[in-house]
Amino acid sequence: MADPRLYPTGSGSDDRRDAAYPGSERRLYNPYQDLNLPYRQLYDLPTSPEFLFKEEAVAQHRSWGENLTYYTGVGYLSGAVAGAALGLRDAARGAEPGEPAKIRANRVLNSCGSSGRRVGNTLGVIGLMYAGIESAMVAARDRDDWINSVVAGLGTGALFRAANGPRSAVVAGAVGGVLAGAAAAAKQVGKRYVPAL
Amino acid sequence: MGTPETSREPCPDRILDDVGGAFGMGAVGGSAFHFIKGIYNSPNGMRLSGGAQAVRMNAPRVGGSFAVWGGLFSTFDCAMVYARQKEDPWNSIVAGAATGGFLSMRQGMGAAGRSALMGGILLALIEGAGLMLNRVLANPPLPADDPNLTAAMGGNPFPGLPQAPPVVAPPEAASSSVPGVWFGGLFGRKEEEKKPIAGGGKSEILESFDTPSTPIPSFEYK
Repeated sequence: MADPRLYPTGSGSDDRRDAAYPGSERRLYNPYQDLNLPYRQLYDLPTSPEFLFKEEAVAQHRSWGENLTYYTGVGYLSGAVAGAALGLRDAARGAEPGEPAKIRANRVLNSCGSSGRRVGNTLGVIGLMYAGIESAMVAARDRDDWINSVVAGLGTGALFRAANGPRSAVVAGAVGGVLAGAAAAAKQVGKRYVPAL
Repeated sequence: MGTPETSREPCPDRILDDVGGAFGMGAVGGSAFHFIKGIYNSPNGMRLSGGAQAVRMNAPRVGGSFAVWGGLFSTFDCAMVYARQKEDPWNSIVAGAATGGFLSMRQGMGAAGRSALMGGILLALIEGAGLMLNRVLANPPLPADDPNLTAAMGGNPFPGLPQAPPVVAPPEAASSSVPGVWFGGLFGRKEEEKKPIAGGGKSEILESFDTPSTPIPSFEYK
């Protein structure tokens, strides 16, 4: 059933072969084994480097959609976890002595759920706005640098508090811009110690 | 041909993407909906601010609901993929049922069961629509001389389809198992239309990027 040509084995493949002997508990499974893929086209890769310049290679390559879902997802999930932690603390604080377990569990679920939803929604909206503005800046300026991050932070803060009046919007925008600039600077400093950043 | 889907992230990162995407869809869609509703329900002269107020009150909530649904669905989907070690529409259907049941669990087992059923049916409809769309998009109606090319084009893009008719011999598709009959009929008719056209008129074999393959095996349960 498995086409041996589908497994281009190198020189170090003896360990893998040993694993498939009867008596071991594992088998080699190739998800493409029945599909008759044109594997020669699939795996015939060029040997020239993908990027000519190192600066190109280290630049960010997320499309605007991936950027959007990434920041929104990170924002919502971290907000939900933080809100659930806050709710847990509130539930522990509000527990009365001599309560049955069902009531305690109900209080924990209710307070974690309500705090988690609130904080998660807020951070998710902030992430969505930030990612949207940053992707729009990248598309408009055709360049990816720290100015995009700072302007996105400014815009997010201003938009978020726009309904509370212009003064509140300006203050929030400044806070957002400073935070975004600090994050970009921290990323640059961190790159020295953790090159993967 | 049946190439595996490569446009989605592999499983753990997929959850993050799905949460973000679902929140975005809910927030943007909810914003539009509640903005229009707020404009409609506001007194004259205060329409825009009424719309904006409605958006600020409701859009994060709608986004959060979508995000919870999407995140749970993606988590259950990845759990099914990990448990079964393969990717096919059944994972999504079971994940949809599990999500529906999980979200209603505090209302008792009866409500949870009903929600699970609704979730499963909804996902089955969505997956079915997706499969039909893929089949229509992956098989453009070109006349073909090459029997290998015809067999290759008759390949099912999602080999794990729960009700897959045998696709090797299109004339036999009409007599396939009963659940697959209407799928097979849809397919069988198209193949039969193609063959007389291919045999009668002159046609050029354009440069094909597929190697001529051995006939696709049938995916009947043995």
